[in-house]
Amino acid sequence: MESLDANFPVRHRKVSLETKGNKTEIVICSYEDHILVIATQIGAMGTILHARKEEGMSVEPTFSVSVIFGKRDEPMMIATARRLIDHISSYVPSKTLVLSLGLKDHSSETLKEIVAAVIENRLW
Amino acid sequence: METEYDQVLHSVAQVKIADQINDSGDVNRDEDGVKVSCFTEVFDDVTLQFQIIRLTKQIYVWIGYNSAKFGNLYAAASTRPSNTVSVTSVLGGTSDNTGSGIARRLVMKAGLNIILACNIPKNNPLLEAKAEKMLIRKLIDLGYTMPTPLRAT
Repeated sequence: MESLDANFPVRHRKVSLETKGNKTEIVICSYEDHILVIATQIGAMGTILHARKEEGMSVEPTFSVSVIFGKRDEPMMIATARRLIDHISSYVPSKTLVLSLGLKDHSSETLKEIVAAVIENRLW
Repeated sequence: METEYDQVLHSVAQVKIADQINDSGDVNRDEDGVKVSCFTEVFDDVTLQFQIIRLTKQIYVWIGYNSAKFGNLYAAASTRPSNTVSVTSVLGGTSDNTGSGIARRLVMKAGLNIILACNIPKNNPLLEAKAEKMLIRKLIDLGYTMPTPLRAT
């Protein structure tokens, strides 16, 4: 579901999917310098992560991914943010990702499906 | 067949407070769904853009001042035991706190946790106040506010 107002500078897209019996609502918003992805099963934003590509001299890109609010003991969430920023930076290298995961189930299958849904409905 | 009286009653019922939204009987509305509202207000030569995303237990708001930059991110919630509202800066916004006051007062009005992203420049209290007023009016229109706001101490 795409945003309706063509004049609004921030585009957004809503996706709904079902994984392991949990209904996941995903909202993707594209700001000028950030991409915001909200994936929620609990009706709240949950843990918020921040990810960006680092300016560096080396050939291989490096990324800085961190939890800025919420659970800091789930490495799979950091891996999810890393996967998404990798994808984003290959299209729009200057944008930072703010990812919010409010999930009941943090299994890798669920997170992979979320990543696939976000990439399929991306706004970058 | 619905009479005009029934129609008026139905629309009044829909104006009720946020936690009665599920009882409205409107079959087309997705009760658990995420609702996104976007609107723009222009005054003097300033453009303020608002994006409100209502999740079931939280509201995310973005306020844009003349640009689509994300800005500083604040999280605010009422905290036990006395329901005082606390706010913290989550991204950016280290010393200027532009927007943290708005986040606090929104929690008091809405009764839900608020995540606010705001790119209003600092040292502009008039602009902040205007943005807050517009936002609160919109939240009331959308039915996201509580009838008895939380108290500030």
